[in-house]
Amino acid sequence: MTTTTHAANAAGDRRSSKPKRSDAAKREHRTGWAFMAPFAILFALVFILPIFWAIYSSFFRQVAEGGGAYGGGKLVNKFVGLQNFQYVVTSATFWSGIGRVLLYTLIQVPVMIIAALVLAMLLDSYIVKRVTVFRLGYFLPYAIPGIVASIIWVFLYNGQISPIVKGLAAIGVNVDFFAKNIVIGSMANITTWTFTGYNMLIFLAALQAIPHDLYEAARIDGANGLQIAWHIKLPNVRAAALLAMLLSIVGTIQLFNEPEIMSVSDPSISKSFTPMMMALYTSRGTLTPSGDGPASAIAIVMALIAGVLAALYALAERKVNEQ
Amino acid sequence: MSYKKRLIAGAAAVAAMAMGLAGCGSDANGNASDDSSDGGVVNITYMHRLPDNDGMVLVKDIVAKWNKEHPNIQVKATKFDGKASEMIKKLETDVKNDNAPDLAQVGYAELPEVFTKDMLQDVSEYAEQYKDHFASGPYSLMQVGGKYFGLPQDTGPLVYFYNKAEFDKLGISVPKTADEMVESAKKAAAAGKYIMSYQPDEAGNMISGLAGASGGWYKVVDDAWVVDTETDGSKAVADLYQQLLDAKAATTNARWDASFDASLQDGSLIGTVAAAWEAPLFMGSAGDTGAGDWQVAQLGDWFDNAGKTGPDGGSGVVVLKNSKHPKEAMEFLDWFNTQVSDLVSQGLVPAATTEDAETPEDWSKFFGGQDIMAEFKTANNNMGDFTYMPGFSAVATAMNETAAKAVDGSGKVEDIFSVAQKTSIDTLKNLNLSVKE
Repeated sequence: MTTTTHAANAAGDRRSSKPKRSDAAKREHRTGWAFMAPFAILFALVFILPIFWAIYSSFFRQVAEGGGAYGGGKLVNKFVGLQNFQYVVTSATFWSGIGRVLLYTLIQVPVMIIAALVLAMLLDSYIVKRVTVFRLGYFLPYAIPGIVASIIWVFLYNGQISPIVKGLAAIGVNVDFFAKNIVIGSMANITTWTFTGYNMLIFLAALQAIPHDLYEAARIDGANGLQIAWHIKLPNVRAAALLAMLLSIVGTIQLFNEPEIMSVSDPSISKSFTPMMMALYTSRGTLTPSGDGPASAIAIVMALIAGVLAALYALAERKVNEQ
Repeated sequence: MSYKKRLIAGAAAVAAMAMGLAGCGSDANGNASDDSSDGGVVNITYMHRLPDNDGMVLVKDIVAKWNKEHPNIQVKATKFDGKASEMIKKLETDVKNDNAPDLAQVGYAELPEVFTKDMLQDVSEYAEQYKDHFASGPYSLMQVGGKYFGLPQDTGPLVYFYNKAEFDKLGISVPKTADEMVESAKKAAAAGKYIMSYQPDEAGNMISGLAGASGGWYKVVDDAWVVDTETDGSKAVADLYQQLLDAKAATTNARWDASFDASLQDGSLIGTVAAAWEAPLFMGSAGDTGAGDWQVAQLGDWFDNAGKTGPDGGSGVVVLKNSKHPKEAMEFLDWFNTQVSDLVSQGLVPAATTEDAETPEDWSKFFGGQDIMAEFKTANNNMGDFTYMPGFSAVATAMNETAAKAVDGSGKVEDIFSVAQKTSIDTLKNLNLSVKE
């Protein structure tokens, strides 16, 4: 606590040496820091500290040094340098997990973003009456926690109890939502269902921020609704699209709820299906090598990959916009 | 209020918040290292993951009985809601932070791993006097390398559940040999009924138990592990299940998926290998379908097991490393683990031999008036020895994944055992334990 007070004081003192600063400004400054403190301390405790702890522990591995069949009942936290990272980057399991989430991102994110954009455009147009009802309706799935949404969908996918599967079978279409090449699509469907409404809201907010005189001007120039959508609305929601895409890419790399829940029904969805699952089950000891060290290494490599992808996307987007 | 005072007040508020946060971690779980003896009263904490469902005698009520009779040893039981592996992870962290409970439920398969992780306290000196209260098999599963760490609670011998009325209709009886099993299964399948289930998500527990009925996989020779998961028993298990899968004469639903329950409720699944502790869960899954028609039988000689059966689950309670009162903890534990009828109500097949477990009324109603506890006891006495290795959960996970591949035909049942062999050795090596190859 004292550090913060000191910091606040020190900051205040430094500023006060500048002749233009009045006492009032100084006080305001300190008060600002004091108001910041609850956030800053909590942020450091629950966000910064765990990150550094994860980085630190990724250099260690828990091994039995006692030798023999049971290691003498002593586990030692052994410094192993980059061995955990070496394990992660050479692990075929890890890379097939990354491959799965990338494939997933490639399929799911564009579908969802385009769907969200189309819905937002429709709601923003004059075609739709009672916008509030639709807006709330589309947004509602997002209010359902991801795990619960997954459970609901698993019931709808389940061959023996699902009304969808049974209904389709009745008209002669036999679907297996858990079939090897379809299972990723089934997961993507859950995510799309949950998040389309959320992304739609981002787009809708951006659309409604566009000044309406632009539309009027366009109409006077003879533009129809479609032309307005294409030439005015679309370019103006670019920033929102970038945000939605970035959030979605980072979100899908961390894919967890859907495969985790679906693996209960389909045990061939492995405990290392996605990197996030692999990290969790490594820390729990259901995958080997186990423990916090290798698990942290998986999490860190995964975060780096997600960061690089997001940065690449942002760069590419900027390049395209410049042209 | 001057500025300085305001700042101090603000700082104090923040500090109080921070303390509140820090406090969250420590006192919620009842902490073994608390000053536990105030005024001569010893406080014991016990973490379990018994079901505590409606109609059962709740753990806290059992404990309350003890607390009433023993004012000097007060026990507080907490239920852990979650999977076994989650609980082990939590206990591991708690032991490191010195705020773990005194007693905790640990599966027999997990005990070696928990020992390797340095979470246990050697209580051999106290265990000895309670030895006669428990069956010798489970009692010996509570030791690692000759040291005892707690007392056994329940056992999970594998038995056969079947719907006798449906069997009679099909004109079959519980098969005695593997060939008879395949033949009857095909006959039943032709009528849309299944007398066996292949449960990929339980492969690690059940198939290891079935294979282990004729002999264990893990042996310690000269203080090093000798691993052989591809025993004759394993081959027999692979052979039978492969035949059933090829003939489409077994269900392939995952045990803990709703589709398994559905197959019981629509009456298509009329026979399955199950662990004894599954009885009440099974009744819940089946609903009213076939209530009163089900029976429990011993496993036939289907897996080259010659009348033996294997373990699937079952737990003991251990004394954790930081416990300050191992003697009192063990005294309570012996009492708790011998509360046979209360434990039976929780769906357990108690390891205690102090009194005969009676079949609860609703169980015997579902199982056609049969005294199924007696069947479980017979199975218990027929259980082969199966030693688990540290890190077995990783092996079980790999087995489950491989088992799932046999369902869609992309793999074979026998692959389960080659994967188990490889994963076992990898796991032991990753833990830096000695392995003889």
